[in-house]
Amino acid sequence: MEILEQLTFLERGVIAGIIIGFLSPLIGAFLLVRRMTIISEGLSHITLTGITAGIFMSQSAFWLGPVNPLYTGLLFSLAGSLLVEKLRQIYKDFQELAIPIILSTGIGMSAILISLVQSSYTEWYSYLFGSIVTVTLSDLFFIVITGIVTVVILAGFYKELLSISFDQEFAVTSGISVKKINFLFSLLIALVITMSIKVVGILLVGAMVTLPVAASIQFAKSFRQVIFFGILFGEISVIGGIVTSYYLNIATGGMIVVCGVTILVVSIVVQRIIVRLRKTV
Amino acid sequence: MIDVFFQYDFLMYSLYTSLMIGFLAPFLGVFIVVRRLSLMADALSHITLTGIAFSLLLGRHYPLFAALNPVYMGIAFSVTGSIFIERLRNVYKFYKELAIPIILSTGIGIGVVFISLANGFNNDLFNYLFGSVIAINKQDFYVVIIVTIIVTALLILFYKEWFFLSFDEEQAVISGIPRRTLHFLFMIMVALVIGISMQIVGILLVSALMTLPVAAAMRWARGFKQMFFYAILFGEISVLTGLISAFHLDLAPGGTIVMVNVLILLVSITLTKKR
Repeated sequence: MEILEQLTFLERGVIAGIIIGFLSPLIGAFLLVRRMTIISEGLSHITLTGITAGIFMSQSAFWLGPVNPLYTGLLFSLAGSLLVEKLRQIYKDFQELAIPIILSTGIGMSAILISLVQSSYTEWYSYLFGSIVTVTLSDLFFIVITGIVTVVILAGFYKELLSISFDQEFAVTSGISVKKINFLFSLLIALVITMSIKVVGILLVGAMVTLPVAASIQFAKSFRQVIFFGILFGEISVIGGIVTSYYLNIATGGMIVVCGVTILVVSIVVQRIIVRLRKTV
Repeated sequence: MIDVFFQYDFLMYSLYTSLMIGFLAPFLGVFIVVRRLSLMADALSHITLTGIAFSLLLGRHYPLFAALNPVYMGIAFSVTGSIFIERLRNVYKFYKELAIPIILSTGIGIGVVFISLANGFNNDLFNYLFGSVIAINKQDFYVVIIVTIIVTALLILFYKEWFFLSFDEEQAVISGIPRRTLHFLFMIMVALVIGISMQIVGILLVSALMTLPVAAAMRWARGFKQMFFYAILFGEISVLTGLISAFHLDLAPGGTIVMVNVLILLVSITLTKKR
């Protein structure tokens, strides 16, 4: 941890970016096969509520002292993912309603809290659209610790997660507790979304989870390859985004997404050309 | 409390506009929800941001665009976005649900780049994102009236066709209903309603006004027509109380409108749980 303290602000941002570029596509691959990619949008918006609540608390309740708003963000995001499950049960025939409900509730509450907190707009923009310059030391600690927790959980329960994602019935009969693993999975999503927010921004976290994996399933022939290509594309877009945003002076999150979209478009086009070539041969 | 809204012109415009969107958004929203397009509304509203950012960027370089209300460019972008979503669904045949998150995040990502290029990270952007009580001027107000009339007329005119398409698509296509044309028309209507609503509610919260009242109405309604009634009722209640409380408490109107909606939804869910 002492090494982390000696880093410059730019190095902190780059390290945070690399960790995020590795973990988001990893979770994204699981979300993809479970057909839940859209949940990342809902949860990222509710994380904003948590962050605004954290900032609001440290402004109005002094006895709490300064809390890093990322922690309250994580709490809200976890609560959100559990609420989504609950709403799915309430609206059995319209399950897809759960995400828009959570998404708009999250943003609605944040809008009110943002107007209550008399903070400068630029601070909010860095949460909304991401900026590597604002990654503080305590943020980096948060990202590293949550990153380690995520990797440990993923490595420990890889087989269970895989089994549930591909064949839930089989998983149940082989004695896996679906409820427990699903909770663990919600925790993983919440962790990854919260750690990405500082660099990529709330409105763009979903992109980091979706775009690299969407590009990688164009080529991949197995689940492992989806993960491998996903991480590769994720890292390329994060590093490419950070470098270009630094030189062109553009919001980091935006450039990362633009890199991700470019990779996606190129891979769709390349895949089409390959298919066409095969047909002519 | 409400008389202040009649003292100033700009407040009166936003009050009337709110009343109209409180009617229009849930009305259209019922069709959106039963056709299972509720996420589509989110995606389209996020692309509207790209259009607005693009218009702001153009406005800095070409005076012609500076005079234009960025909302129009936003509407154009969201119509284009809906076409892209259909195309992406064909690309990802086995993962059709991927299309919406892809378009949603692409829209915001490119929008952010445009905003950065236009140096637009200021108060105006915040009003676009979370809504504003004073965004409507006389000219916008006329546009809102025209859009309301057109969309309502279209909805009533093609009510049977959309009703048919929503509940039994195959049968509808077989009986000769032009599905593609009607779907395209529907998307344009959604884009238009998002465009006029976002000035008061804000881009990030437009879709809430389309889905939340309908979700609450679903708990009460015993038929499709009743669903319209409840949805519009809830929509109007939330818009009115939200706008007035936002003005008096100095909050973002989008936030208060959505939170009133969420309250109605929570009350509806708890009250109807036993049924």
